[in-house]
Amino acid sequence: MSDTAIVYNEEELVLLLQQSREAFNYLYRQYGPALFGVINKVVYDEQTARDVLQDVFVKIWNNIEQYDANKGRLYTWMINIARNSSIDKLRSKGEIMKGKIHMGDDIVNNVQKGMKTEQATDTIGLKKMVAGLKPEYETIISLAYFKGYTLDEISKTLEIPLGTVKTRMRSAIKQLREIFNK
Amino acid sequence: MDTKAYIESGKLEAYILGALTKEEARQVEADVAMYPELTEELQAIENAMQLYTDSLAKELPSGLDNRIWGALQFSSAGAGEGKMPPKVIPFTPEYRKPMRWPLAAAVVLLIGSVLLNSILWVKDQNTNNDLVALNTKVTQMEQDQRQLSYLLSEYQKNKIMMTDTGMETIVMHTMLPGHPMAATVYWSKNSGVAYVSVDGLPAAPKGMQYQLWVMQDGKPVDIGVISNDMPSTPAMQKMVKSVTGGQAFAISLEKEGGSPTPTMQNIYVMGKA
Repeated sequence: MSDTAIVYNEEELVLLLQQSREAFNYLYRQYGPALFGVINKVVYDEQTARDVLQDVFVKIWNNIEQYDANKGRLYTWMINIARNSSIDKLRSKGEIMKGKIHMGDDIVNNVQKGMKTEQATDTIGLKKMVAGLKPEYETIISLAYFKGYTLDEISKTLEIPLGTVKTRMRSAIKQLREIFNK
Repeated sequence: MDTKAYIESGKLEAYILGALTKEEARQVEADVAMYPELTEELQAIENAMQLYTDSLAKELPSGLDNRIWGALQFSSAGAGEGKMPPKVIPFTPEYRKPMRWPLAAAVVLLIGSVLLNSILWVKDQNTNNDLVALNTKVTQMEQDQRQLSYLLSEYQKNKIMMTDTGMETIVMHTMLPGHPMAATVYWSKNSGVAYVSVDGLPAAPKGMQYQLWVMQDGKPVDIGVISNDMPSTPAMQKMVKSVTGGQAFAISLEKEGGSPTPTMQNIYVMGKA
């Protein structure tokens, strides 16, 4: 399953560059839900998440020429813009603390996400698989990927040595890979 | 280089998760460019994270696409927002040739104005958004405040009640074997005031209501119905009817509004005074 990654073709990029409404609709439908999901993991407050999503699309739209296919996938590039924008927002609003307190809300979010319509049907299977991720692994992914913590900060927050942080990251993604390979 | 040890160290995962410093990240990029094994591993990690973020996908709120499209219309006339550099509008030599200075100046001014406008528009949008966020917070705080003052008045009621030295506490126990239920009556014999707390009772079924009784010389006397908001909450209800005497209290489940006499098989809890 890990090899069924979405393929991005030239056509898609050209569409993007034409900056038409169709290109936007395509981009929005295709990637919007994933971007919105990532943003919501970071900022929690839905109103803020909407604003961030808007910022993210503006950045993607105006900087598509800067996307370098040699450096990675379009999907990763966009997800990173979404992560960086929402982490910036979180910091600018001093909402880091709020985010920490809300970590337990993921369960609620997952329940809500479980009740989605046709658009998300293919992600329901993924959600179920990901639910088996060990809590300590979810924490380490969440701190780094969604809260923007550096290795050093994670080491201090979780009170574990720097080397352990990295090996735990490896184990975490290893488990994800095993989950998706099933 | 020992690429196996490199892979096992978790450095590539840390890179994908964005936990490395800029220098460390640049080093990883250089290493990956040199060793195909590392590239392969990095792609597998990227795949896993892609499926992970896919699993987080969230349905988009309706109407948001139009709002964002509107924002794009303004933004693409000018520059990209944030730290990324703005788009450059190239002047081709053919185009520049016949152009005179005043015209060029006008174009520059126009572009400058469009740019400024779009920046101002984006700023204005941000201010509006901040305002909305602020309003939401104020509403939330007002709600919290109402809740707190309600709690305070409840505590004050309790305090008055607890300090009444003539107050008797009667715990009523379940009458239905296998169903652990309980409720409490606080009764001031002197004043005849009675309070009831039913946090140990399940919610009343639709169309039904709990009713409190006092046994006076073997005869049940109605004290009043208990509000359906009360079960499973620690709140106390002051009974409207005063209780002048009695040997025991009981609660039965009755039709909404109460009954003149208790339905015997529906007596849930009872306790001696």
